[in-house]
Amino acid sequence: MKISLTVNGQLREVEITPYTRLLDLLREDLGLTGTKEGCGKGECGACTVIMDGELVASCLVPAPQADGSEVLTIEGLGSRDNLHPIQESFVETGAVQCGFCIPGMILASKKLLDENPHPAEEEIRLGLSGNICRCTGYAKIIDAVMMAAEKMDGRESDQDG
Amino acid sequence: MGKKYNVKDYYCKHTTRCSTEGRKKSKRFVGHNVLKADAWDKVTGDAVYPDDISFDDMLHIKVKRAVHPHAVLKNIDISKALKVSGVVDIITAEDIPEVRQYGLIVRDQPVLVGVGEKMRYLGDALAVVVAESKEAAKKARDLIKVKVEELEVITDPFRAMEDDAPSIHPDGNILITHHLDKGDVEKGFANSDIIVENKYQTQFIDQLPMQNESGAAFYDERKGVVNIWASTQWLHDIQADVAQSLRLAKNQVRIIQPTIGGAFGKKEDVSVHIHLAIAAIRTGRPVKFTYTREESMITQSKRHPITIYAKTGVSKDGYLQAWETKFIGDTGAYASSGPAVVHKGMYHCTGPYNCENVRGVSHAVYTNNTFCGAMRGFGTTQAAFAYESQIDIIAHKLGMDPAEFRKQNIYEIGSTTPNGQQLNHSVNARETIESAVELSGWKGGNSK
Repeated sequence: MKISLTVNGQLREVEITPYTRLLDLLREDLGLTGTKEGCGKGECGACTVIMDGELVASCLVPAPQADGSEVLTIEGLGSRDNLHPIQESFVETGAVQCGFCIPGMILASKKLLDENPHPAEEEIRLGLSGNICRCTGYAKIIDAVMMAAEKMDGRESDQDG
Repeated sequence: MGKKYNVKDYYCKHTTRCSTEGRKKSKRFVGHNVLKADAWDKVTGDAVYPDDISFDDMLHIKVKRAVHPHAVLKNIDISKALKVSGVVDIITAEDIPEVRQYGLIVRDQPVLVGVGEKMRYLGDALAVVVAESKEAAKKARDLIKVKVEELEVITDPFRAMEDDAPSIHPDGNILITHHLDKGDVEKGFANSDIIVENKYQTQFIDQLPMQNESGAAFYDERKGVVNIWASTQWLHDIQADVAQSLRLAKNQVRIIQPTIGGAFGKKEDVSVHIHLAIAAIRTGRPVKFTYTREESMITQSKRHPITIYAKTGVSKDGYLQAWETKFIGDTGAYASSGPAVVHKGMYHCTGPYNCENVRGVSHAVYTNNTFCGAMRGFGTTQAAFAYESQIDIIAHKLGMDPAEFRKQNIYEIGSTTPNGQQLNHSVNARETIESAVELSGWKGGNSK
């Protein structure tokens, strides 16, 4: 079957099987390998993307369900030469170690800051509670989100709605 | 009676390594926060982890695992699996008679279990399926039919050590025994006013790095070199082990480390490497193999569950006099780092506390559980559970503040560990206790 969806602002048409996961579609069909698979069961958050404004575990979304949707992956947030303030903050606070959880962490942080531009530490912990990191102990990740909130202060949210 | 163990002053006078003056700081890095060079690639999704590697014409691997934790393989039937559309090759032990066993310390692990041979835990590999897609490989793997003769499954190292227990490996179930002897424990116990004896048990823990075992391989036929891009913590050891297993020269095996998504000891062992190499050489095409989380949990190493017996003698005034210990480590079906982990744990049996008289024995024991290997601390975390518990229990019996009891027995410059290493510099145990007291808000006292 063929579906079409908008990924990182580009309309894409993809030939899939009914059991393709959104994660496979992104990684294998579109080559967007920034989205990771950690558990395949929606527990770890490594495969997190933003679909129609909602955080989803892309390993649990059947690709046919993404037909007509708008998906943001880590590749669509910023590039090396043009980092999003959240990405900048993760670099500057030393919040990145092995890095495998980071694309999911950053997208979860974006969703959090879009809805709550000035989160308290507890709210950050709750906002990132769907994402597991095994290296950092989370302290610097929370620092990164705090720093990103400051950097983004006064800017218009870049998410519609 | 106990005496205060303090030779710090002596060492500071007689060695150059424990200067109390601050070291010269590097102006560029030490004491500064340095931005990590790889962070940019990791925040943009550009970093390439093993499963992110793709080649044109690439094949996918799935492995048929053991169907029973302890059984003899009687028959393996791949005929139905071979008919699955997209299957390129199914490799069983009879296809690779020249391939040798592998292992980090003891080469006791088979690449594939052959007919007439034993599977020793649920992670043992019986067949490697190579196909055009992951789905085809999985479908074919599930069509492989296996007949086994079941043996007694040993999940308890104490059962494994009994005389009538079946041997999991040819040389018996006790993989290795180490002894520890320092001072005179009999004299130490005779000088003790209180003796505390307890048994402690720790459990299996998975290191659980975020990225599962994964890799890709390509055989360069012209040069006779197999290239393996796979996560590992020991590039050179893995290269040597893969080469000896496949009877290749080391320069015919290239291990290339992509970005690695965590390890914590779990990626010290061979995982996907040899299966990848065999499939790449046989098919002449690039191949990829990524474990699922379940496969990683069942197949790769764990932190050892260790049973620790501790008998500790102490004088009325709160000085450790004697410490006797026994470590029984469940190393699972294969040795991995087990011979080193269990006895390293024993060497740390007294923790950071001075004791002149120490005696111990450790056994690493085979069972049919998933094999145990390296995990952060390498045996010392298990030991810590036992010795810190002992210390608390003794402080309670003495009616002493557990922080004070710790401080008066704590390692200092010049202290000697149970295995006879003299600590000549950088001993910060006292400062650690003091910081813990301060940060935790501990008000002192005892729980009596």
